[in-house]
Amino acid sequence: MAYVQLEPKIDWSRVAIRYNVVVEGPAIKPEEDPDVKKVLPTEEPFLSVAMGVLYGDMEKTSEAVKKALQEVDPLAVIEKGLVKGMDGVSILYAKGLYYLPDVMLSADAMMEGIRLCEEKLGKPTKKKAKVVSFVAEGDPHDIGKNMVVMFLRASGYEVIDLGRDVPTETVIKAVEEHRPIFLTGTALMTTTMTQFPKIVEELKKRGISVPAFGCGGGAVNREFVESYDMSVYGVKAHHAPKLADALLAGKTWKDLRYEYIKVVGEWVDAYADRAR
Amino acid sequence: MAYKDPDEMVFGHAKFPVSEHWDIQFGAGYVVPEVKVAPRPGTEKDLETLKKECVSIAEQACERAVGIGIPFFMLEQEHVFQQTYNPKWAGEITAAQAAVLEKYHEEYGIKVALRQTVADIRVEEKKPGLRGSDYDNRIAETVEACAANGASDIAMETMGGKAVLDYGCMRGDIKAILFGIGVLGSIDMEYVWTRNVKICKKYDCRPAGDTNCSGANTLMFVAGLLLDKNLPHTLAALGRAIAAARTLVAYECGATGPGKDCGYENPIVKAITGRPMAAEGKDAVCAHQDLMGNLVAAVCDVWSNESVFHDQEMGGWTPAVWLGATANECNLMNVAIQAGQHKILRDLYVLADKYRDPQALILAYDNAWRIGRAIVEYGKDIYLRARAAALEAGRIIKEAVEAKKLVLTRFERDALEHAMKVLESLPTESHRFIEECVREYKRKVPTFDPKSYEL
Repeated sequence: MAYVQLEPKIDWSRVAIRYNVVVEGPAIKPEEDPDVKKVLPTEEPFLSVAMGVLYGDMEKTSEAVKKALQEVDPLAVIEKGLVKGMDGVSILYAKGLYYLPDVMLSADAMMEGIRLCEEKLGKPTKKKAKVVSFVAEGDPHDIGKNMVVMFLRASGYEVIDLGRDVPTETVIKAVEEHRPIFLTGTALMTTTMTQFPKIVEELKKRGISVPAFGCGGGAVNREFVESYDMSVYGVKAHHAPKLADALLAGKTWKDLRYEYIKVVGEWVDAYADRAR
Repeated sequence: MAYKDPDEMVFGHAKFPVSEHWDIQFGAGYVVPEVKVAPRPGTEKDLETLKKECVSIAEQACERAVGIGIPFFMLEQEHVFQQTYNPKWAGEITAAQAAVLEKYHEEYGIKVALRQTVADIRVEEKKPGLRGSDYDNRIAETVEACAANGASDIAMETMGGKAVLDYGCMRGDIKAILFGIGVLGSIDMEYVWTRNVKICKKYDCRPAGDTNCSGANTLMFVAGLLLDKNLPHTLAALGRAIAAARTLVAYECGATGPGKDCGYENPIVKAITGRPMAAEGKDAVCAHQDLMGNLVAAVCDVWSNESVFHDQEMGGWTPAVWLGATANECNLMNVAIQAGQHKILRDLYVLADKYRDPQALILAYDNAWRIGRAIVEYGKDIYLRARAAALEAGRIIKEAVEAKKLVLTRFERDALEHAMKVLESLPTESHRFIEECVREYKRKVPTFDPKSYEL
């Protein structure tokens, strides 16, 4: 190709710099990160359980949980092993050392571990609170919602997943039945996100409210979401549990709108004007 | 391969140009600017409001086109849910927009095209799945309504394989990505495009093509920009190569082009088919930011803004503003063609982005051609050719890294190494791979319904 001869003439530092490479730190083992060290258990059988989760290894996690269940209480396995491993994952994700697939695999491993513990307990464990999640009617794009569900479940919430292309009435009924701490809705298209204010209108008509209705997805923006009550514009899927935690701690949807960056603990472009 | 030498590939020229009504051609020696605008939220409430909105979009684009002397342009209307769900709406809106374009064509002689992109509203997990459901039947009726009412061509963004792809995307599982896009996506494409071609042939309407927006663009968006932490860009690049093998199916079914704008895999598809292709990049920043805004213009035949809200900007309403943006770029490309300097401009486009990201690298036209060649070696075996595309893309990235031209993070390198090992270890017989994947992903992905693919 003619352009291949042009390549040596180009000073690439004036064209493109891969800043992700520039800022990359040295390679370390996940368990060697100083903040992860602080949360990981030091004693067996919890350490093996937590390490299975930290490495996103479902098989090793299952083996470690089964072994642990022979000697300790299932609730202890969850709290001192599985949850601690996931705490480590969250730390590494926040630092940019872990990526979404790492988190997903760890969440899968943790959920499998919890399933084994619940099997032994003979009943489901107590969850933090209920959340109802859905994708707007007429919208088949659900990857965002699936991520939100995964992050919430991995953080200890019970999520009622209504799926995609969900009519308003189904959402209302689920809210009436489950009285969630948080309702989340996602939409990719400008014309399907219009369901969100209709849901709020219908909730009000029936005299129901939710502590917050998190709305996000492709074409959704803050201006639109803040044009109706109860709502908060959710920017990234991994923000969902932090928003839910804040609601559990007594924050309102109005607080979340103005304290978003503080609540999620990271810079968020969409809320740049409210950063201080 | 339509092109024996990648150097033959250049913007504005396709081996097999396409003509549409209102005197417009694609790939016939000039690049056509495209504008696409999303109706404002709330306008979908009834037919009359939505029609008024879409007519207004068409009028504003036409008025700006003649105001700045554009010789030709394409207006694309990507359907909102209600438009595809109600074939009557689709027909009436298409007719109303066609009337606007025809008026300007007759009055000024401007060459125009009206693309109707029918929404894929099917939901795999809702019985009876992707085939024969009420949603599916409405899609077919809507394609016909558009074709019968003046659409120049029909495009789609089919969703086949998305459930498994999404699973793979979120877990960095290259096998799921290959199965979701390469196998399930291809099977569904054959179903949809055999039907689309049959319908369009009854009218003066071209069955244009499809894009793996639901798959490869999902990977690209989740991968995000350089500092995002969601998916290694190397995996998104492999997914893009796989998508080319899948998007190719539309043309094998009789689609003619011009391919759909957000199909970033189009340079690979063009290398194989010689069909004209649309592309989007630096003038689509209103919709999303990619890492190859110039490079993707190198071999395009239509240059698009992707999508923008119907809204006011300082320079006017968005249909006018963004047609102005895409038309300016096309002016440059078309002057380069007339002056015989088009290959130089093409090469500058490529160099502007080639080493910005692995996703850009594999779409440089010489690399796109290499991936195309890897695909055709396996003929119509949808699995083996998709796997070959991914392996070739991986080799291209590794070569550039070894030559110290492309730098990757450890995370990107490790993900690539792991994906290549997985790909190399996969079965070399399609039926074995498919049987294995059906078993595995049926268990792991509750919304995956093998029956939707006759598996």
